[in-house]
Amino acid sequence: MQSVDLGWWGVLIAVLGGAIRVSTPYLFVSLGETITETCGRVNLGLEGILVLGAMSGYATAWATGSPWLGVLVAGMAGAGLGLIHGGLCNLPRVNDIAMGIALFLFGTGLAFYLGKPYTIAVAPRLPHLALGAWSRAPQVRSALEINGLFLVGVVLAPALAWALRQTRVGLILRTVGDNADAARTFGFPIERTRVVGTMVGGFLAGVGGSFLSLYYPGTWNEGLSSGQGLMAVTLVIFARWKPVACCYTALLFGAATALGPALQSIGITTNYYLYGAAPYGLTLALLIWSSRPQHTLAGAPQELTISK
Amino acid sequence: MTPPTVQIDGMTKRFGTLTALHEVSLTLTPGTFHAILGENGAGKSTLVKCLMGYHRPDGGRILVNGQVQAIGNPRAAHALGFGMVYQHFTLVPSMTVAENLVLGQADAPPVLRWEVLRTRLEAFLKTMPFRLDLARTAASLAAGEKQKLELLKQLFLGSRVLILDEPTSVLTPEEADQILRLLRQMSTERRLTVVLITHKLREVLPFADEVTVLRAGERVGGGPLTALNQEELVRLMIGSMTLPRADARVPRPAGAPALEICDLAVRNDRDAEAVRGASLQVGAGEVVGVAGVSGNGQRELVEVLAGQRVPDRGAVRIRGERYHGRRPEKLRHGVSVLTEEPLQGAAVRAMSVAENLGLRNFDLPECTAARWFVSRRALWTQAQELMRRYRIRAQSPGTRLDTLSGGNVQRTMLARELSGPVHVLVAQNPCAGLDLAATADIRAQLLATRNQGAAVLLLSEDLDEILELSDRIVVMFVGRIVYETTRDRAELQAIGRAMAGHP
Amino acid sequence: MRSAAEAAVLSTAALLLSLLVFGGFVALRGVNPLEVFRALLFGAFGNWFAVQFTLTQAAPLMLTGLCTAIPARAGMLVIGGEGALVTGGVVTVLAGVLLAGAPPLLGIPAIALAGAAGGAAWIAVAGALRQWRGVNETISTLLLNYIAIALMNHLVSGPIRDFAQVLKPASWSIPEGFRLGDMPGTSVHWGLAVGMMVCVLTWILLRKTTFGFAIDVLGGNLRAAQLAGLPVTRLVLLTTAMAGAAAGLAGAMEVMAVHGFASASLAVGFGYTGILVAFLARQNPLAVLFVSVVLGGISASGGLLQRRFGLPDAATLVLRGILFIIVLASSTLYGRFRLFQDRER
Repeated sequence: MQSVDLGWWGVLIAVLGGAIRVSTPYLFVSLGETITETCGRVNLGLEGILVLGAMSGYATAWATGSPWLGVLVAGMAGAGLGLIHGGLCNLPRVNDIAMGIALFLFGTGLAFYLGKPYTIAVAPRLPHLALGAWSRAPQVRSALEINGLFLVGVVLAPALAWALRQTRVGLILRTVGDNADAARTFGFPIERTRVVGTMVGGFLAGVGGSFLSLYYPGTWNEGLSSGQGLMAVTLVIFARWKPVACCYTALLFGAATALGPALQSIGITTNYYLYGAAPYGLTLALLIWSSRPQHTLAGAPQELTISK
Repeated sequence: MTPPTVQIDGMTKRFGTLTALHEVSLTLTPGTFHAILGENGAGKSTLVKCLMGYHRPDGGRILVNGQVQAIGNPRAAHALGFGMVYQHFTLVPSMTVAENLVLGQADAPPVLRWEVLRTRLEAFLKTMPFRLDLARTAASLAAGEKQKLELLKQLFLGSRVLILDEPTSVLTPEEADQILRLLRQMSTERRLTVVLITHKLREVLPFADEVTVLRAGERVGGGPLTALNQEELVRLMIGSMTLPRADARVPRPAGAPALEICDLAVRNDRDAEAVRGASLQVGAGEVVGVAGVSGNGQRELVEVLAGQRVPDRGAVRIRGERYHGRRPEKLRHGVSVLTEEPLQGAAVRAMSVAENLGLRNFDLPECTAARWFVSRRALWTQAQELMRRYRIRAQSPGTRLDTLSGGNVQRTMLARELSGPVHVLVAQNPCAGLDLAATADIRAQLLATRNQGAAVLLLSEDLDEILELSDRIVVMFVGRIVYETTRDRAELQAIGRAMAGHP
Repeated sequence: MRSAAEAAVLSTAALLLSLLVFGGFVALRGVNPLEVFRALLFGAFGNWFAVQFTLTQAAPLMLTGLCTAIPARAGMLVIGGEGALVTGGVVTVLAGVLLAGAPPLLGIPAIALAGAAGGAAWIAVAGALRQWRGVNETISTLLLNYIAIALMNHLVSGPIRDFAQVLKPASWSIPEGFRLGDMPGTSVHWGLAVGMMVCVLTWILLRKTTFGFAIDVLGGNLRAAQLAGLPVTRLVLLTTAMAGAAAGLAGAMEVMAVHGFASASLAVGFGYTGILVAFLARQNPLAVLFVSVVLGGISASGGLLQRRFGLPDAATLVLRGILFIIVLASSTLYGRFRLFQDRER
């Protein structure tokens, strides 16, 4: 099918479609980190979990022929790393920010170590909803392909928000993260809650990683992710730890990341690396904007090490 | 549902080599208002924490309605109907009043039904003499409101034996009265057994039925209040120890104010205005006592004077010059600051006693070699001298500061801050949580510093301390100085009213 | 003295435990762990050639280790070594081209200092953001890493590209006269000596001077430092600048002594390994010197592991990751062993 010349409309549509596509991993990772940080733990190792999730999801999908099984295994790998992080950080005097960095290096290393043979394999892809089938232009059609995971994420966000407000488990989570003393007097299991919260966060981050290898870009190699896990942490701060706000912020990040390739599609190919830097710049700018010097980040769970 | 009879039989608790409780026995008759008296460090908090399942006692037993109970954790204590209002707040800042009230319910369903809960909460609040807006977040409440919420929480949960650990330190005298009266009424109606931990006799006498006095981990006396009088109680609390007498007051020199605070406005950690245009003057050789319930901006005011916070507007002047809290200024003007909880804001817990003592002058010629190098030997010698002079008990100058007791840590701070030339001294709750000997030491030092001609600004939640030490008394309320009086004309009533915001 | 012994014992124990766990990983691939340990040892220190290679790998780590260790003593966790190194390398190239006519005696220190200054500025940005906006320095330096690498790639494949280099995009080369050679009698470049010297000087500065004392107070309790009237903002900016200068100097050394130009070969993980070095060395600059050699040895033996056992080159990454996790987890053991405690307890 020949590509129709849409000019600058093409850029807009590419950015839109790209936003949905690229935002999916951000969405899942940030939802996961919201849960983790709500119960008072910071996990900077999300990047490592993302990469490990991508590799394990890809390998499983290739071996079993089912991409959704790959997603599940990716999630479990993420939960495993989350278990290590959550478990070790519960020990007294262990710095959870440093541990996150260690996990980032370990997860990435492990993924490359185990994933070498899969760089040439081809695994089945996740399905999508073709909302743009009416159009003649392949750009429009590709832009309006809403992938399955995005739909799951968009339903998950308000569900998580509801759970945090309306269920007992949600209240326990929030208490453990906001005032550990209070949790202790109620007999809430602080350590166990934090481990579970970190594992759930890891699971979702792993799922987000599987998207990278099983949908877009859709292959497994060592340059798959760079910094998306980290950006998700900032995303959570900017979204003020609210799951639904994470959705919008993820779309914003997706749009920023999709800008470069979108411009490339209409022939602007210079400054490729500078566009690559755009998401990090945006993240840094948002971080600066969200922070205030003399007082705590508004809305932050008070037990978080980065808000103390 | 009447409260159970609780008997504590020979309870013992040790922390390492320290015996916090030794064979303490007492009975809580249902429907009584029972006060546990004792100075700081006597074991009052340890006793009730064992009752609440926070600590496991090393000896003795607890009987509830005649049956021995092993209370292994706070949940078990709650199940027996015990509830406690702690000294620190156990509220969740980001949650609303309604959510905080509902939080402790042991029988809460997995999914909360807010309509049902709200009706129950409204009905409950109608039976209480004070109200709180259910939709406000706990973080937005003032300290007094937080304390009331803590109380409501325990009552809503249906506690039948309610323990309160020094609850009135964040309350105005009026609020304290209000709460104690409510509790007294509920205990008389046999709905509640009240256990009040305090070191203030003033609270005990009008409200309590029975008293238990602890000293150094042992029960030294007690019984129904009708059988005891005030002098006996005081004697039981402090024993036969003689406290160092403070020096007499020296008449103060006339002259311009040494410390001036002009229209200061300061924001706190939550970006709310904590100090809203406070003005104050302290002259040389005088103690100005700032009374007020905590949370009215005292902390932020002290932080500005200590150089830990930058004000929004206004100025601080010392001997006429602008003061920002920088090191050269502190040195030049002889400014010393004593904070409450020194390990939090004034000392480095991981450093040794000698290093902490050296914080004042580590970069001055007396402690350096070749101008840029720190002379560890000079620090060590200095520490030895200061430890002797200020009676700091520690194994050696090289031990970590956080291995010392609270009193010795504060003595270390005292030694550090007062061993150089002092012209301005700021002290905030310097004796909080300390035993009587340390408290007497510190108060004597404050007066001695005053007598040497320093301007002393004392902020304290303890009205007795203010009345004992100050030449002039002011009251701080909601970030402003609202009342002023002198030592001779001070009236407790008037001060109390000002603290509550009624001029 | 007791705390130094405690640190040495626990760090060594962490290293041994990590090797054990790593042994488990290689066993999963059917390789004999004992053989691997022997290869690690041999590849790192087996012969003079290996030792020299180890020292070459250790040289940049000494400096990037300082990039994390110096701010850590002031209470900050900076992980921007990778970005500062890359920035330093690029600035060194630019300075080298700018000063092309100068005599080597002037040029060499000048461009090395330029590289250090570039790195210093890069990390000082994070320090400034922390002081004026309360931005967490761990997140900001991590982001700055990515930004620095992206900027470097952009410059190196565009504005400052040397098209004569066909293998991969690379920048202009610095003049031959500004290249640093090997130390006499060895095939290890002068960067090693520079690294060692900087570590020792830093140790003296931080342990013995009033400046170092002030940093320790700042790292111990910010509010106590403020109460003492210490110039906190100045101290934060100075420590982050020093940290960045160290990593920037590492970048300068890589350009001057190893490659001669800037390229993506600057971003090979020296910065990240430096973080591990700092933690294993318990943020002590002198210990950083020795720990760098250990970690340099691990990196050096990577090639041997690949050739002899078919282990992917990511194997040493896994070992480093395990080591980092165990080192961090071991901080819970400090102060627990009676042997090392003050008798007061």
